[in-house]
Parts: sequence; structure tokens; C-alpha cells
Amino acid sequence: MKKVVVHPERCVGCMQCMVACATAHSRSGELFSAICEIPLPKPRIHVGVGLYGEGFPNRCRHCDPAPCMLACLPGAIYRNADFDTVMIDPDKCINCASCAMACPFGVIRYHEDIFAPMKKVVAVKCDNCIGRQAKGLIPACVEVCKSNALTFETSAEALKRKTNEVARTVSAEAGITAAAPGFNLLNAIKKTQNQLKAN
Amino acid sequence: MSKNYNEKTITTDGQLMLKKAEKDQLETVWDRYEAQLPQCGYCEMGLSCRICNMGPCRVDPFGEGPQKGVCGADADIIVARNLGRMVASGAASHSDHGRDLVEVLEAVAEGKAPGYHINDEEKLKRVAGEYGIDIDGKDILKIAGELAHAMQEDYGTRKKSLTLLQRAPEARRKVWEKAGVTPRGIDRETSEMMHRTHMGVDNGWVSLLLQAVRNALSDGWGGSMIATDVSDILYGTPKPVQTLANLGVLKADHVNIVVHGHNPVVSEMILLACRDSDILAMAKSKGAAGINLAGLCCTGNELLMRHGVAMAGNHLMTELVIATGAVEMLFVDYQCIMPSLGNIAGCYHTKMISTSDKARFPNMEHHEFHPDNAADLAKILVRKAVENFENRGEVYIPVDPVPAVGGFSVEAIIGALGGTPEPLINAIKAGKIRGAVGVVGCNNPKIKHDYGHITLIKELIGNDILVVDTGCVAVATAKAGFKNSEAVQFAGPGLKEICGAIGVPPVLHMGSCVDNVRILVLASALADALGTDISALPLAGAAPEWYSEKAISIGVYAVASGIYTVLGPMPPITGSMNIVKLLTEGLNDVLGATFAVEPDPEKAALLIRKHIEKKRAGLGLDSRDIK
Repeated sequence: MKKVVVHPERCVGCMQCMVACATAHSRSGELFSAICEIPLPKPRIHVGVGLYGEGFPNRCRHCDPAPCMLACLPGAIYRNADFDTVMIDPDKCINCASCAMACPFGVIRYHEDIFAPMKKVVAVKCDNCIGRQAKGLIPACVEVCKSNALTFETSAEALKRKTNEVARTVSAEAGITAAAPGFNLLNAIKKTQNQLKAN
Repeated sequence: MSKNYNEKTITTDGQLMLKKAEKDQLETVWDRYEAQLPQCGYCEMGLSCRICNMGPCRVDPFGEGPQKGVCGADADIIVARNLGRMVASGAASHSDHGRDLVEVLEAVAEGKAPGYHINDEEKLKRVAGEYGIDIDGKDILKIAGELAHAMQEDYGTRKKSLTLLQRAPEARRKVWEKAGVTPRGIDRETSEMMHRTHMGVDNGWVSLLLQAVRNALSDGWGGSMIATDVSDILYGTPKPVQTLANLGVLKADHVNIVVHGHNPVVSEMILLACRDSDILAMAKSKGAAGINLAGLCCTGNELLMRHGVAMAGNHLMTELVIATGAVEMLFVDYQCIMPSLGNIAGCYHTKMISTSDKARFPNMEHHEFHPDNAADLAKILVRKAVENFENRGEVYIPVDPVPAVGGFSVEAIIGALGGTPEPLINAIKAGKIRGAVGVVGCNNPKIKHDYGHITLIKELIGNDILVVDTGCVAVATAKAGFKNSEAVQFAGPGLKEICGAIGVPPVLHMGSCVDNVRILVLASALADALGTDISALPLAGAAPEWYSEKAISIGVYAVASGIYTVLGPMPPITGSMNIVKLLTEGLNDVLGATFAVEPDPEKAALLIRKHIEKKRAGLGLDSRDIK
């Protein structure tokens, strides 16, 4: 089964995944009308800031067993086996925040949502875009990520690629060539800037 | 909000005011910077393009995603176009500032600018002579009118090259000719830069960058140079003058008026109004001890250079100045004025006045200054400021001001040297002064406020390198005490001896950011005296905390004039390693100078010292090994 795989070293921090996620979970599905909707659609993926100002796309890992599911007393959190996805039933959710307390990754938010009863604040998190997947589309965050920090593939594919990358670095006469020397240069400068602030 | 004030600024007034700002629940530039993190990597690398509506486009720096925009432009073309447009904006800003001054000069000549007059007739005649204007027996206002018109032609398209290029050493002009970057008209080069970067025009990344060089030269040897010359003609050529710097220049018992922005056209009239005896009497009747005018940023530098008006702070201090609660009125003209200022002022009694027909801001009262109404309007508004004194709430002025000397125009420096650059050249030849560095530019929340400037300059003067500075740097060094009679203690032995003999500090305040052209003129005088090109001299430039497009233009014209220039923050070019390589290595073959990028000011100082010693060796002077 294909999953969203995160490659943090490739995140350039543009936050397009956040915009695409909010749009995908809006009523209209279109950016320009989504920004006028009530409730305002919100992203389920969140780009955080690393030690040196670099980005990291933080999203639900759909853990198994999922701590949020174990913590949910009303039983609103369940696993959709077809898409290997941890889901929240907004009708059953009682907005108690137990799931957020249990979640090690801080990916659960509380707000109104188009899938929830009107005016009801519920727990909201990544649903792997199962609506889109059912139509043959890939998750919205992956679709817009042009630096391949987010990919949609099987674990086997992702791990094979990673294994090969590592293997190449130990090949005889392997020169270490950076995938993007300019990005490394930019990050080195940003790192220095941040270190100097602590002086 | 973070309590780590000392991670944000090295200044005492800044740290104390950040604490006050937090108590007053103000949102500052540092908060907004934090909120923007992480900043978009495509944009940081120059790889996003919004030029046409087939886009917007971006190129994946890792090589797997899209490698070309919809039009077919690759990373090199996109980065070059974006950089070119930054230069165009910077050059346009300086040059438009110059144009406003030329219009005042023209209005003075026509008798339509009450309050303004020709202050330095000698300089007017000298510059008119350079423009080939026959001045013999002519009325001073007639000369002013003819000079204004001649300068306006430099803005147009009727000339083959800019008039003031003749101030550059002949060898340098030949370099420009050979590279095909001799600027033809001030507005023309900006206009052509915009044209070339339109979709489907210039798609050679090298030729795009060469046009960026020509555009920047049209700023440095055109628009900015005209701005400085006309300001000197209208308001006086600066001479060494005592002043004070930091937030402590605000006075609790005075009506405090602050001017912020760049062009002296407005601030000079505010200064006159603040000295008006009727208005001073009115201030006394309101219980104030007087009217205290203070400056921020470059219009503050303009007043500081010519009148010793005290300096409240640089770019990152502009919000915090208002948070003192001590400012009755703050005037802004244009450039580098954060649109947040009006909101900050809403928490205090400070009245905010925007003055330029081309610059509006939220929550400011707009009163347009033009040459014909400026003197009267300034008085009306300063009276309003005086009336506002009684609305003052709690005042917090946390520090005492630091004394400083400013006013080092080229004329003043040559004057201090006894009328010729010879003593400076001799000191350089003897190795007492190893070389000279222009440290210029802004503040940027990416760098701890003033840390880049102060750390670099301390290293340079401590190693016998004379520093000249302008803009936000000039304010930083004044606050740090690098510009008063005790500042020689920071200088190395040789520099200390020379500064002591001439009676100047080791860091010379040369003015506002358009006044960077004074550095070009001084460098040309040194090169001419030695019969060589600027690029052969032991000189360098640095912009340790730059942020603005104007700074990009300045950096490019400095390098194009033969001055090795070290930037602190990285410009948005790392998306094209071809362009990084051209700017940091390849330009040497074309222009005899390059850029370097080094955010750590201690390492930047080493780069500069190595460069200076290399140039000394090239001139056959003694040279040190720098490790």
C-alpha cells in the first residue's frame, strides 16, 4: 500500500503543502473560493521550524497501535483498514483533547470543520486524503510538493531508494556529490546566522 | 514573545526597549520574522518566478521536480531575472530620490520654492562646470536652473553616457566600456532591466547580469551621485560636526519630533520649523523646555551630517523609538519605513505624518510636502506636534546618549588632510593604515541587531584599517562609541597615530545610503593620485546586515567600481551555482572585483584583511600574512 513518506532533508519550507491541504479539505476544493468559506478550512499538515530556520512538514504518522485511538474514550478514533489510515468521527468526538495529549507528534488540532456538525469544535487531523484517493488522486500535500520532500509510495519503494542512496556513498571511488549544492550553501549561511545570535 | 532580548540586539537601548515593548504588548519586526519561519526555500534561493501569468513557477533545487518554468526558463535564467529586478528596484529608489532633489533645485531656480535656497554656491559652480555649463558672469539661480536641466537629461535617453562617470578613473571607465556596461541614462537602464526580464526577452543569464551591473552603475554614478551633490548644493556640504546617538537623544522635558526616511527635502524644512522662534515660544508656553528634533535612518543621517541633529536609531529601532512614549510627532518620507509604525503609534500619543505623494502608510495622517508649500506646512505641523505635548503619557527613555562626530564629506576629509589626499596615501604607503573599508547597509532581523556592524568594524580598526560608513551602519558605530574623541582606543597603533594627528575618529561618518557615492569619489581621488584603477587599491566594502533592494544595487555598483564587497546575509541566488560562482569568482576577470558572502563578521574581517594585504602587495607595498 502507498503511503505519504516525508523526506525532511528536502523540505524547502515553502508551506505549499499546508495551503493545498486546507484547500483539499474545503467545501469548494478551490483555493480562491476556499478562503471565503465559513468555517475557514485549515491545514492538517503543519510546517515547523528547525534549529536553523529550516522547514519540516509535520503530519499524522497513522501509528499502529495509535496512542490517540487508545486514549479516545468515546471511541471516535478508528482505523480505516482500506487506506491504513487513522480517522476521527466528528459526530462522536467530544473535544476532550485526550487524543492530543496522547499524540507524540502534536498533529491533532481542534476547530470547526466542514465534515463536523455546524458550530461544533472537533479534533481534526490528516486523513491521508482518502476522499481524493478514492477518486484515484494522490494526497494533496504530495501533489504540490515540487522538491519531493513528500512522496506517495510504498514503504518498500522508499526504503529501496534510501538503501541505494546509502549504498552509493560506500561504493569505491564514490565522490560525495550534494543533491543540491546551492541549498546546502544557503543552509550553511542560515546556520551560521543562527549560531551567531546565541553569542 | 521571547525573553532573549540579547539574542535580538547587542544594543542596551534596544534590549531595554524590547522589554518595554513586550510589557506594552507590541508586535515588533522580530516577532513578525519569527512568525514567517521557515521562510520559503524557493524564494530564498531565487528559484520562484512570478514574472508572468503562465506561472507562478518554481524550480526544484534537488533536480527531480520541475527544472524549468512554464516558459522554459531554467534556474540560471530565473535567478538572474529575479536578481536583475532587485537591482532595478534599488537603483530606481535611489535615482527617484535624486530626481526629487533635482526638482527642488529647479523650483529654487524658478523662485517657486520658498524656504529652500542655494546653500553651497561654490559646489553648485563646480558641479555645473562638470556638466559643461558656462558659469561666467551668470546669476547663481540661472546656473542652478541650467544644472537642474542638465541633470534631468542624465535621467533621459539623449546621452551616450552619464556625465558624472568622468569622476571615475580613466582605467575604470575603460573596464566598463570593454564589458559593455557603461550606463547611458539613469532611468533608461532601470527601464531596460525591466524590459529584459519580461518573459521572452533576455534569456542569457550572463547578459542579464551585465545589464544589472549597468543598471547599478546608473545608480552609483548617476541617480545617487546627483542626489548627494544636489543635497550638498541645497543644504550645505557636510563638515565635521558634533552629535549624539541612541534613544537617549530624546528629551523628557522637550517636545520630541522625529524624522524618518531618506530625502532631506522634508526633514530640512522640519528642522527650520523646529528653530522658529514663535513656535519655540509656543512650546515653552505649553510647559516644554524646547523642541528637540531627532533623526532615524537616512534622513536622520542627512540632518546629522549637515547640522549635527541627534540620531535616535537605525532601521530595527524605528518601532522601539515610538514605544518610548516620548515622541510627539514622527514624520516619514519614503524607503525603509515599516508599515507597522502607524499601529505601534496607536498605543501612544505619537502623531504619525506621511509627507510624500508616493508613499502612504496605514494609520498615518497624510500631508503632502511640495517645494512650494513645504516651509509653511512644516510650521503648521510642528505647531501640532507642540500641541500634542500635553497629551503625553508615561515616558521611558532608558539610556544616556553617546557623543559622536559626523559630517565627513569628501571635501571635509580632504580638508582635514590639508587639502590633498597625499597624507592619507602616505600613511597607507607607510603601512600605518593598511587600507580602508566602506561598511554600509541596513539592519536585518536575520542578524543580531548591530552585531555584524560592530564586530566587523572593531576587527578592522583594531588592525589599522580605516573605516568609512553610511546609513544604518553609521548609526550603529555612533551608538557604540566608535566616533568620538575616545574612539581611537579601539584603533590599532598605526591608525591611532594617524587619527590622533589629524584629529578624526577611526570610523568616519560619510552620510546616508545615497552618500555611498562619496566613497566612490574618495576612492577615485586615491586611485587618480596613485595613477591606477580603484580595483588596485587596498580597499573593500561590506554590508554585514543588509536587507533592501537598494543595498543590492549599492553592492553591485561597488563591485563594478572595483571594490571587493563582503555581504552578511546571502542574496537569493543559491538556486544557480553558476551565478554564485560568477559573482564570487568570475566577476574578477570582468570587473577586477568580486562579492563574497560571510555572515560571521569575524570571518568577514579576515577575508577583508587578506584582500587588503593582497592589494598592498600588488602595489609593491609591504604586505602581511593574515591567518
